[in-house]
Amino acid sequence: MYRISVDTGGTFTDVVVKDANSQIYMSKALTTRDRAYLAIEQGLIDIAATIGVEVTDLIRQSVQINYGTTRSTNMVVTARTAKTALLVTNGFPDILLLREGGKPDPFRRMHFRPPLVPRHLTFEIDERMLADGSVHIPLNEDSVRAAARACASAGVEAVGISLLWSIANPAHERRVAEILSDQLPDIPVTLSHEVNPSIREYRRASSTAIDASLKPAMQKFFGDLQSDLDEAGFTGSLLISTSYGGGWSADRIAAKPVYSIGSGPSLAPVAAVREVDSDVPGGAAGNTVLVTDMGGTTFDLSVIQAGRIERTNETWLGGKWIGDITGTRSVDIESIGAGGGSIIRIDSGGLMQVGPQSAGSEPGPVCYGRGGTEPTITDAALVLGYLDSSNFLGGRLELKKADAEAAIAELATRLGMTTEAAAIAAMRISVDNIVTAIREKTVSKGIDTREIVLVAGGGASGINVGMVAAELGARTVILPKSAGAMSAYGAAHSDVLSEFDIVTFQTTGSPDFQLINDAFAQVHRQGQEFLDSIDPATISSTGIEFYLHARYPMQAWELTVSLGSYDDARAITATDIENRFHEEHQRVFGVFEEGEHVEILGYGARATARLAGNDERNIFIDQPAESDAEGVRPTYFRETGWVDARLVSAQRMRELGEVTGPAIVREDTTTLVVYPGHRLEILDSGNYQLHIGADGSSH
Amino acid sequence: MRTYKTDVIDMSVIANRLDGIVREMENTLLRAGRSAVLNMARDFSCSIITGDNRLLATAEGLPVHVIGGERLGEAMTRRHPDLREGDAFLHNDPYAGNTHAADHTLMVPVFVDGVHMFTTLAKAHQADIGNSAPTTYMPFAKDVYEEGALVFTAIKVQRDFTDIDDIITMCRSRIRVPNQWYGDYLAMVGAARIGERGLKALCAKYGLEVIKDYIEDWFDYSEVLMKDTISRMEPGVASGFGVHDPVGDLAPDGLTINVSIEVKPDEGRIVIDLRDNIDCIDGGMNESETCSINNSMTGVLNCLDASVPRNAGSFRCIEVMIRDNCIVGRPQFPHSTSVATTNVGERLVMTTQRIIAERWPGQGMAEGSNGLGPGFAVISGQDTRGGNNATFVNQLFIGSQGGPGGPGYDGWVTFGNSVTNGLMLRDSVEVDEQKYPILIRQMRVRTDSGGVGQWRGAPGIVCEYGPVVDQMTAHYVTDGNVNPPRGVAGGGDAAPSEPYVLREGGAEVSAPLIGSVTLARGEMVGHRLSGGGGYGNPHDRPAESVRTDVLAGFVSLASARNDYGVVFTSDRIDASLEVDVAATAALRGE
Repeated sequence: MYRISVDTGGTFTDVVVKDANSQIYMSKALTTRDRAYLAIEQGLIDIAATIGVEVTDLIRQSVQINYGTTRSTNMVVTARTAKTALLVTNGFPDILLLREGGKPDPFRRMHFRPPLVPRHLTFEIDERMLADGSVHIPLNEDSVRAAARACASAGVEAVGISLLWSIANPAHERRVAEILSDQLPDIPVTLSHEVNPSIREYRRASSTAIDASLKPAMQKFFGDLQSDLDEAGFTGSLLISTSYGGGWSADRIAAKPVYSIGSGPSLAPVAAVREVDSDVPGGAAGNTVLVTDMGGTTFDLSVIQAGRIERTNETWLGGKWIGDITGTRSVDIESIGAGGGSIIRIDSGGLMQVGPQSAGSEPGPVCYGRGGTEPTITDAALVLGYLDSSNFLGGRLELKKADAEAAIAELATRLGMTTEAAAIAAMRISVDNIVTAIREKTVSKGIDTREIVLVAGGGASGINVGMVAAELGARTVILPKSAGAMSAYGAAHSDVLSEFDIVTFQTTGSPDFQLINDAFAQVHRQGQEFLDSIDPATISSTGIEFYLHARYPMQAWELTVSLGSYDDARAITATDIENRFHEEHQRVFGVFEEGEHVEILGYGARATARLAGNDERNIFIDQPAESDAEGVRPTYFRETGWVDARLVSAQRMRELGEVTGPAIVREDTTTLVVYPGHRLEILDSGNYQLHIGADGSSH
Repeated sequence: MRTYKTDVIDMSVIANRLDGIVREMENTLLRAGRSAVLNMARDFSCSIITGDNRLLATAEGLPVHVIGGERLGEAMTRRHPDLREGDAFLHNDPYAGNTHAADHTLMVPVFVDGVHMFTTLAKAHQADIGNSAPTTYMPFAKDVYEEGALVFTAIKVQRDFTDIDDIITMCRSRIRVPNQWYGDYLAMVGAARIGERGLKALCAKYGLEVIKDYIEDWFDYSEVLMKDTISRMEPGVASGFGVHDPVGDLAPDGLTINVSIEVKPDEGRIVIDLRDNIDCIDGGMNESETCSINNSMTGVLNCLDASVPRNAGSFRCIEVMIRDNCIVGRPQFPHSTSVATTNVGERLVMTTQRIIAERWPGQGMAEGSNGLGPGFAVISGQDTRGGNNATFVNQLFIGSQGGPGGPGYDGWVTFGNSVTNGLMLRDSVEVDEQKYPILIRQMRVRTDSGGVGQWRGAPGIVCEYGPVVDQMTAHYVTDGNVNPPRGVAGGGDAAPSEPYVLREGGAEVSAPLIGSVTLARGEMVGHRLSGGGGYGNPHDRPAESVRTDVLAGFVSLASARNDYGVVFTSDRIDASLEVDVAATAALRGE
């Protein structure tokens, strides 16, 4: 019996297989764009060989496949989605153009990004609802038919419908959809109150337009995947990872594909929860966890507090304010332009700058020898001896160290420093960009970075995590064994999870305050139905937790307050809610207003099903190594200058148990740099813990 | 290459960290703020000044807010030689460094090892400040007394990290919707204290000496960058003027603002002279000292390399010459400066950048849109929905005005106005309708409102709204109606900004350009907002870009033909629209 889990990225497809004895096998294959299955099969061939079974048997014996993909994100970012029309309330045809205003810098000149749906494919419907759900202007059905005709003649492939206040009364949106299904029977349609029932017309319209625009391609994509798996003999359940870090059935995600945006990266925090549970006293519930994932171009970070992965309704594709918001709930992942490919430059005032521009994979860093001329962090790491020239990407790409040195030396001359010093400087600035982003994120949540558990994943993390952790003063630093395939590994252990929200409006100040029964019952029922739809053989337990969104009167932004279980929530009083809100406000903003009432803007239920076998300890099976011999390599650190660092293989690490820096540990999918004075320890789980105390023993 | 005392890498790191602290402060203000001016429009800014009152870090704050923070600090240190940890000060005095009375500023002196190293500033436009009318913009206030705001000159409002209740009580008894004010006050305190916490941690990490060296080095570095930018310009002097629309009987012919600019590349300096202007007038249109300086500087900064850090170091390269008792200088007490941040202030920005564009080819910009018409009105009334009866006063941000064209770039669509440069956020229709008893009827791009050009001005929109239960009053201060934003270098002017009222039944009647309208249920106030001016000859705009503009509703078919010289093969505005290449070339005389 196996479980397979897959993360399809832009370049690589990561495949993780877990067998009945909780043994974990990992591999990577090149992504195949149009047919995801081909890459999955490639990855499975490697793993099947290690296990010693046929691929077909591996698939037949799998009870479940968890699948994550960045495909929908990439489609939106590169504007390759379906030709989509948007139907809006008469008077408001420019919602997607105007967005919510805002610009990242007052003086930087920028090009204004066109709207997701062009104006000539945006159609105004004569109708108007009000905030209380009453009809201000009745629906003029002729205006819908005229829009449908225009869509047909324009060759529109998908339609979004987003009317004002449809969250208060969805009757008009529903009727518009009925008329469309008559007039345009084969065109997929998205209704705003269904895909994202939340206030703020821009966000809802944006969710709706993105969702509709993804439907044709993503429905085919998931359909193909399902039929390819069927053909291969797969009879288990296929779960697709959602933007908020849990699995949904393929049918459900095909009906709301906007929730597949961020589907891959959203699972890294899930993996981190598991690692912290196994490796750190108190587990994820008893710690504040910071999850990082550094690849070639970006550095992603997310926060887990009290065992709960932080989520947000503000995910922007193409930049905050100026891009397009998904508007839906997703794991709160902050992405900054800092990775192995970040370019190192000197500005006219004589200061070094690193990133956010990236050399990407084309032309790539100078050392790739593929035409890149601007030095990058990867080049700096190579010059300093942190990377091998020979075993990068499993030896498929020989790194040209002399070229990297020449490029960095040129910068060094202009700065009047040595090549090594310039390379170290670049590393430090890159680390600082990362640390600044982390601090902004954590301070705004009232988190002290000295108290966090840092879980560092991603192929490029190993070169600088020691510096990042030291800067933050992080108490506990975990480098997962699964770092190179962290999202796929997370998907293998993700819960089946969905949230159900309803918009309400009430205040704790009203004398007869109580939770609104109907609203509460509705989200409860939806959660229960979701859980009932899951194959009971694959899960071990289920639960529903309730929460509400609240604010002080006249605030515009809500904080989420947990209500606990059904019984807890039923018993809650206005005073309880106010006290919890004050506490949360104090924690996040440093102030609270005693005696003030709070307004409640909505309820939600989070339904969770835990996968069977999720609590077992995993055993990682490495690919056979070429050699276990230890060696040394001259390596440069800021504190020591050139020293010989120990070179240690993953297998050798298991025998040693721990190693003190300076040392370089070579894993199958990544390289870990142990800085002088730091100590790397292998844990029972197979993960590594990095100790950064001055003597390598404390912390 | 220049050498610094501070390790150059530490310098990048610390600079980054300081901007990070400012952003943390801003985030607090946005999320915790109580009035829509803060939590939706983001009409606030945070900054850090040094203990000796030099502007150190602003992140990406509103230019009109952050430039001049040092004068606020000066008021505090002058009045309180006995500053100590745990103090906080409320300041809004426009005669002592503030922008205008509506911008309450909360200042916290930050002590490290007993030394006053920094002051953190959180400045936020208030929904109400206790003026004689329910608005924070009083163009006709004869003087500061008639304006009526409570004025605080660096008044101590916290001691030992605790509110001084007397000051809070004064505000609560004199400011409309006192809970709203107090909530915003708390958000400002939170922001300033979060900044304090971050700065202490920074000093603990690097040590006081390193930070002290850093401050001087960072100013020097910023100055080097700014000098370098200016040294690449041609030397020269240019002057010009802009005209604010008529202001009732106060200025029936409008207000002419003269600006003279001298670029001295060999010194790496730019000098702006505002002294040749009229004296203060008996209305709220006068600039405060800070607004005279920061708005003309914004006009210059709009034309320079945006990557130069904005602080006391780089600002050494820009000198603004002003005089006492001048409408764009140092206001003579008790002349009112109620509207200092916008209107005449915007004219300073627009005129400065346009003069640069006229005199220095390839630099500068056209004039951006300006004024706070009904799309940005302060609305007030009683909310009697659901059997309640609550007073509401707040500024709406549902309008959208276009930005100016400049070399290489079309105007920014959600530009706002010429002092905020696109930074402010816009309201949600649904959130506004939930919070206030109003209905918003439309919000759509206004075709042909941006100035034509090779780089065109962005369009404004048309918006209309009104009360749904009882009557409502809207106060606003339009500009750009008689004198719409001008194009430059062959670019066209933008369409005028036009307020109007819709009577019940839909008949349009005129509305004052500056003042207030009171609307009954069923009536609406409307605003055709202007765009930005265009830059360069519209015939040089690629025909395909003009097609995109037509499809977006930015440009009409008529303007495409008459102004841009672009002919299409049909007049159907849909995907089938195609440029008639031959006819276009003929019309353009190519």
